[in-house]
Amino acid sequence: MSSVIVLLSLVAGSYFIAVLESWLTHGRFSLTRPAISALALLGREAVTARTPDRLFFETAPVLLLVVGLLGAAVIPLAPGLIITDLATGALFLNAALAYVLVALIMAGWGPNGAYAMIGGWRFLGQFIAYAMLIVMPITAVAMRAESLSTTVIVASQEALWNAAYQPIGFVLFVVAAMGLAWLPPLDLPNAPGDLAGGIEAEYSGARLAVLRLARMVIILVMAGATVTFYLGGWLGPWLPPVVWSAIKVLAVTAAMLSAGRLVPRVREARYLAVSWKLGISLALTNIFLVGVIALVVPI
Amino acid sequence: MTGMTAQMTFLAFFGAAAVWFGIVVFRTHSMVRSAIALLFSQTAVGVMFLLMQAEFLGVLQIMMMATEMSVMAIFMVMFMMDPGGMGAMEMTHQKRLSLWAGGIGLVGALAVIWLADWGPPVPVIPGAAEQAADLGRELLGRSMFIFQSAGLTILTAMVAATMVAIVPNEGREG
Repeated sequence: MSSVIVLLSLVAGSYFIAVLESWLTHGRFSLTRPAISALALLGREAVTARTPDRLFFETAPVLLLVVGLLGAAVIPLAPGLIITDLATGALFLNAALAYVLVALIMAGWGPNGAYAMIGGWRFLGQFIAYAMLIVMPITAVAMRAESLSTTVIVASQEALWNAAYQPIGFVLFVVAAMGLAWLPPLDLPNAPGDLAGGIEAEYSGARLAVLRLARMVIILVMAGATVTFYLGGWLGPWLPPVVWSAIKVLAVTAAMLSAGRLVPRVREARYLAVSWKLGISLALTNIFLVGVIALVVPI
Repeated sequence: MTGMTAQMTFLAFFGAAAVWFGIVVFRTHSMVRSAIALLFSQTAVGVMFLLMQAEFLGVLQIMMMATEMSVMAIFMVMFMMDPGGMGAMEMTHQKRLSLWAGGIGLVGALAVIWLADWGPPVPVIPGAAEQAADLGRELLGRSMFIFQSAGLTILTAMVAATMVAIVPNEGREG
C-alpha cells in the first residue's frame, strides 16, 4: 500500500516540477502545459540517429527512470510510509544515484552524435566534482544518527534539524544534489543554448518523454533526500507527517529550480576545481566538527 | 524451504549473469560497451551479495563499480584509436599468455575453495544494521593497519600519477 502512495506522490511531484520548470523557463504559468507537451511527445515520430549504439540508446532513458525509482524507494514520507526501510538506506540511495552517471554516459554515447557525446562525457567530469560532496555530508549525517537507515536519520533530528546542526554539510549537499540532477547552473550535460540539448539532442518522441520524466523523478528524489537528511523529514507540529514531507520536498524543489536561474552556468573545470579544493576540505571539516559535537553535546 | 529455493535460483541467475557479462567484455568490439559490460558483471556480483544477506557489502559493491567503470570507460575512449568498435577492434591480446594466466587463476581459485577450512555455516545471520556496525568495528580494530596502509598506498599512487600527467604550464586554469 505504501509503495502505491509513494509512487502516486512521485507522479504528482513530477508534474509539479514540470509546471514549475516551464513557469521559470518560459515565464508562463500553466497547469495543463506539461500534460499537453507529454502527449505531443508521445504522439511524435521517434527519430533515431544513423548507426546508433542501439542497445545503449534504448536502455539509457529506461535505466535513468529505474535509478530514480530505486532512489525514491528509501525516502520516507511519514513513519511507515516508505517502500523499503533498508538498514543501509543512505548508502543505497548513493548506490542508486551512481547509476545516473552510467545512464547519462549511455545516453551520450548511444546516439552516435557529437553534441550528445560531449554532454555525456561532461557529466562524467561533473560527477567527479559532485560525487564526494554527496557521500561526505551523508557520512556526517549518519554519524549523528548512528545509523544508515533513512527513518532513523529523520528520527535523530527530533530536537534539532541537521540543517542547523551541520550547516556546512547542508550547503555542500544541496549544491552537489543540484549537480547530480543537472539543474542550472550545473546543467552541463544538456546545457541549453550551448550544446543543442546535449544528451537530449538526438532523442525524440516517447524516448525523450521517458528521459525527461526520469529527470523530474531524480530532481524529486534529490529534494526528498535533502529533506530526509537535513530538514527533519516528516517532523513538524500540527499538520500530519505526510503533509510536512510534501511541503518540505516541494519547497526544496522550488528553491533548487529557481536558485539556479539567478547565476550563470559554471564551467566544468571551474566546478571541479572549487569542489575538490574548497568543497572536500569543507566536507572533511564538517565531519570533524560533527564528530566533536556528537561526542561532547548529546542533542 | 521455498524461500531458500528462490534464493538459490536468483543466486544462480545472477551468478550466470556475472559470468555472461564477463564474457561480453571480450566479445564486443566497442570499448564503451566493454566497460559497461564489466560494470554489469560486477553489479551482478553485488546483487549476489545482497541475496546472500550481506546488505552493506552488496550496496557498496554496486555503488563503487558504477563510478570506477565509468571513469575507466572515458580513459579507454581517450587512449584507444577505435573506441566505438567501428573497425571491429579485437578485445583480446597475448592470447596464449592470457589463457595460461586465466587457467592457473581458475585452478588456484578452485583449490582455495575446496581445500580451505571454511568452518561451519553461521547459525544466525546478524541483521543488516548489526553487520554494518560489525564491519565498522573490524575496520577500526584489527584490520585498521591494513586498510590505512592500503589507503595511503592508493593516495600516493594517485598523487604520483597526477604529477606525471599534468603539463607544467604556469598560469593555466583548471
